[in-house]
Amino acid sequence: MAEEFLVAKELHKSFNEHKAVDGVSFTIHKGENFGLLGPNGAGKTTTIRMLSTVLKPDSGDVTVAGHSVKHDSDAVRDIIGFCPQELALYEELSALDNMVFFGRMVGLDGKEAKAQAMKHLEMMGLANRAKGKIAKFSGGMKRRINLAIALMGDPELLFLDEPTVGIDPQSRNNIYETIEGLQAKGMTILYTTHYMEEANRLCDRVAIIDGGKIIALDTPHNLKSQIGPPDKVTLEDVFLKLTGRSLRD
Amino acid sequence: MKRLTHIWFIALKDLKLFATDRGALFFFILFPFLFITLFTFMDIGATEDTRLQLHMVSQEAEGGLSYQIIDALESAGDWEIIVMDYDEAYQAVEDKEISGFVAFPADFTEGIMTGAGTELEVVTDAEATSRRAALYGLSQTIASRVGAQYVIANATIELLIEQGIIAPDDSAAIEQVIQPILAGQGGGEAFIEYRTEKVGEVEEESASNWVIPGYLVMFVFFGAAVGAETIVRERQNHTLERLLASSVRQEAILGGIFTGTAAKGLIQILLFWVVGILAFNLDLGPSPAAGIILSILTVIMSAAFAVMLATLVKTQRSAGSIAVLASLVLAPLGGCWWPLFILPQWMQALAKITPHGWATTGFNKLMLFGADFGAVVPEMLALVGFAVLFSAIAVWRFRTSAVE
Ligand SMILES: Nc1ncnc2c1ncn2[C@@H]1O[C@H](COP(=O)(O)OP(=O)(O)OP(=O)(O)O)[C@@H](O)[C@H]1O
Ligand SMILES: [Mg+2]
Repeated sequence: MAEEFLVAKELHKSFNEHKAVDGVSFTIHKGENFGLLGPNGAGKTTTIRMLSTVLKPDSGDVTVAGHSVKHDSDAVRDIIGFCPQELALYEELSALDNMVFFGRMVGLDGKEAKAQAMKHLEMMGLANRAKGKIAKFSGGMKRRINLAIALMGDPELLFLDEPTVGIDPQSRNNIYETIEGLQAKGMTILYTTHYMEEANRLCDRVAIIDGGKIIALDTPHNLKSQIGPPDKVTLEDVFLKLTGRSLRD
Repeated sequence: MKRLTHIWFIALKDLKLFATDRGALFFFILFPFLFITLFTFMDIGATEDTRLQLHMVSQEAEGGLSYQIIDALESAGDWEIIVMDYDEAYQAVEDKEISGFVAFPADFTEGIMTGAGTELEVVTDAEATSRRAALYGLSQTIASRVGAQYVIANATIELLIEQGIIAPDDSAAIEQVIQPILAGQGGGEAFIEYRTEKVGEVEEESASNWVIPGYLVMFVFFGAAVGAETIVRERQNHTLERLLASSVRQEAILGGIFTGTAAKGLIQILLFWVVGILAFNLDLGPSPAAGIILSILTVIMSAAFAVMLATLVKTQRSAGSIAVLASLVLAPLGGCWWPLFILPQWMQALAKITPHGWATTGFNKLMLFGADFGAVVPEMLALVGFAVLFSAIAVWRFRTSAVE
C-alpha cells in the first residue's frame, strides 16, 4: 500500500445545533484519487473546508504529510491546492490576472506565475482568452478557470469540490481530461461530487457520505459488487440500497 | 518579506479592482469635490442658524476705523456680528450669557494712522477655551489685515510724495488718497477684503479652511466605510476562502485588505490637499507636517473601521447601509458640516466619542487658530486609539467571519 498522505480522524462540525459533519474518518494515499460522494447537504463541502484549513473542526484532526491542520496549518497550506465549489474569481479582472494573482499568493514569483498561468490556460483550452475579463466568460469557462487556479504552484494534494457542477459537456470533458492528466502525473486528489458516474470514472476509492457520516468506503468496483454484478449496477443503486433514498433528491 | 509581498499584491489587486469600478471612482473622487465646490461657493456651510456669532465692542468715537472693520466683517457673511458696549459685554461674559468678545481700544484709529500700533482686547469666559481660540484667531486676522491696509496706504502716499504729486504737509490731499484705500472704494469691495492678497504676508481667510478639512474627514471615512462592501464581496465571492487555503498567512490577508483600503484613502487626501491648496487657497497653518499626519491618521482610522465593519456584517448590502448610516451620523456629530466650536458645550462633548470630532478639532486648531504641532498631539493620539480599537475587533472577528 502506498504512503498515507492525508489522515482524517473523527471530524465533527456543527452549525448551531445542526451536525453538518458527524465523525468522519478516512485516509488518502499518495497518488490516489479519493472520491467523496453524497447528496446535497451531506457535508462534503464542510469536510473539504476542514481538510483545507479554511474551517476549524469542533473536534477531531486531520494530518497532511504529517502536519496537523490544527497545530501546523501553515505547513498544510503550503502543500495543498483548493478549488472551492463556488466560483472563486475576481470577475472584473482578466483570466490571466486572476491566475497570476493567486499564483503569487502561493509563493510564485512574477515570471513563474505567468508561465504557469499560461501553461494551465493552454491545458484548459483557454489560452486565447487569457486577457479576457472573467465577467464575459461562460459558466463552463469560469469553471475551468476556477480549477486552473487551484493548480497554480503545482500542489501535492488537490481538493476539488464539485468542479463540474452545472456545466456544458465540452467543459466537463475538458475538466475530466485535465484531472486524468494530473492523476497520470501522480498527483493526489480529493474529489467531491454528487454525480455517481463521475466518481465511477475518476476515483480509485469512493466514500459515500450522507447526513455528515460516511456510510460506505471502498473502490467503486467493490461497492457495486456488494449488491450485484459490478457491470450491471451503478453507484446510484448502491446509494439507494444503503439509504433507501435516491442520490439526486 | 514574503508576507510583505503578499500584502502588497493583495492591496494592488484591490486597487486594480477599484480602478475598474467607475461608480466607486465617482464616489471616491468626483463626488467629494462637487460637494466642496458647492458648499464653498454657495456658502451653504454658513446658513443663519449655524453662523458663528461674534460679539464686538468699539470704544472709539463713531466714524473710527474699527466701525469700518466691523461693517466689513458683517458683510463678509461668515459670521453674525453683534455690537455691544464694553461694560454691557463684560457683564454678559461674567454672567455667562456670552462666552467672549473682541474690543477695539479708544485710540485704535490713531494707533494705526500714526503707525504707533494698537492692541485688540479679547475678553472671554475662562472655561470657553475653544471660543477664546476663535476670537483670538479673529483678532489676529483683523490685526494682520489692518496692518496690510496701513502698509498699502503708507506706500501709496510715500510714492505720491516722492513723485511730487502731493506735498508732504498737504493733509487734505493725503486724506483724499487714504480714504478710498481704507474704505476699499476702488472696486466697491468691503474694506477688509481690499487687496489684501497682494501683500505678501497677509493671507486671505477663507471658508474652505474649515469646509475642506471637514469634508476630507467625512469623505475619507465615507469612502473607506463603503469600501467594506468590497471586503464583504471578497468573502461572498469565495475568493477569501481561496486565499485562506493558500500559503498566504492570515495576517497578510488582513494586512493586504487594510492596505488596499488605506491606499484609496491616501489617494483621496492627496487630491484633497492638492486641489484645496491650488483651487481654494487652503492654508495648512504653521505646521503642515501636523496637518499631513492628521490626514494620514484619519485614513488609517477609516480603513480600520472598514475592515472591522466587514467582519461584523453578513451581507454586502448591510455593509453598504451601515457604512452610509455611520458616515452620515458621525459626520455632523464630529463637526464635519459645521465647526464644533460654535456648538453648545454638550454637543462638543458628544463629538469626543466620534473619531471625526477629534480629526476636525485637530484641523480647526491648525488651520483656523494657527496652532502648532504640539497642540494637536492629543487629537493624533485619539485617532491612533480609534484605529487600534477597530483593528483589534477586526482581527478578533476575521477568521470566524471568513466563511459563509
Ligand atoms: N456556514 C454554515 N452555516 C450554517 N450551516 C451550514 C454552513 N455550512 C454548511 N451548513 C449546513 O451543513 C450541512 C452540510 O453542508 P455542506 O455544504 O457541507 O454539504 P454538501 O455536501 O457540500 O452539499 P452540496 O452538494 O449542496 O454542496 C447542510 O445542512 C448545510 O446547510
Ligand atoms: Mg458542497
